[in-house]
Amino acid sequence: MQDALVRKLESFEELTDADREALRALIPRVRQVRPRTDLIREGDVPDNVHLILSGYACRYKVLPDGQRQIMAIFVPGDFCDLNVFILDQMDHNIGTISACQVVEISRRAIEEITANHPQVTRALMWCALVDEAVLREWLVNIGSRQADQRIAHLFCELLLRLEAVGHVTDNSYAFPFTQTDVADAMGLSDVHVNRTLRELRRLELITLKGRVLTILNVEHLKTYCGFNPNYLHLRNARWSSRRQVPWLSGVQGE
Amino acid sequence: MADRDNVETLVVLQPISVDTASSDHAGMLVMANGLLVAILVRLDAPEHARSGTWFMEVGLGRLAGVRAPVFDTLEDATRWVRRRFRGKALGGDRLDAEG
Repeated sequence: MQDALVRKLESFEELTDADREALRALIPRVRQVRPRTDLIREGDVPDNVHLILSGYACRYKVLPDGQRQIMAIFVPGDFCDLNVFILDQMDHNIGTISACQVVEISRRAIEEITANHPQVTRALMWCALVDEAVLREWLVNIGSRQADQRIAHLFCELLLRLEAVGHVTDNSYAFPFTQTDVADAMGLSDVHVNRTLRELRRLELITLKGRVLTILNVEHLKTYCGFNPNYLHLRNARWSSRRQVPWLSGVQGE
Repeated sequence: MADRDNVETLVVLQPISVDTASSDHAGMLVMANGLLVAILVRLDAPEHARSGTWFMEVGLGRLAGVRAPVFDTLEDATRWVRRRFRGKALGGDRLDAEG
């Protein structure tokens, strides 16, 4: 388990033996979480940092009228809330989409390790910066792209993020999201999501069968939505040299 | 003044064909007290979960950006529009009453 964490962080930053030793000394708690279950709710005091080992989760808010907005999707290898533990109170919810294997690392453990290991701190900052870059892109997506491009963009992003952690086979990946999940993430109605999926199928850009999404023509789909993967920072030399070895492969039961 | 809250919004529907970039075409212009406030479209395309229901394709004015539920019947949609206008009427602007 700790190895997974070490490999994740090493994909961003060179770690020393002492850094690795300190990370291995952490005793994270691994939880099997059912689908559609909150890991932490708005108003809770954040105690732990959550790392998704398998499955999909999301960050969301619920408006007074019951409308949900999903602000982020987490895939295996993502920290859900790297820095929120510094805050006194959660201002949003984090919940699973599919069944997840989740690692919880205590706030105190993170504080101790970052106080003594600057490289680990830098690696954690990398993770947080990439998360922020993704959030910026989502803002652009929701604010400035048309419905069909928005969804195509999400499909391209998930393809690259999941590919980086070894969860893509033949341009196909698990897609446990409902129509409403996509609608709530993209600021669209279910009806528009439905029509868009039909259109993307008609154009032979994707298929969606048995909760598996296949991108039939990656280049065409990228062109269709003007996808530029720069915000994922996958081209970073430190990252790209290591991303050939999926850091999760050792702990994945799938 | 108090009587105004009892004045129902007059909602009138008028058939119209709508381009939705899908096979859903049959629509209704929704007029509230003479002003166009929404366009409803009947969900006819086979991919929809509830075929034959009515979806608010576009909302204008106080219905702009509102994510309305999908309505089983036009009566349900009309009732919903009236309720939206009644609820908002307690605030500042009065679009649903004369004078």
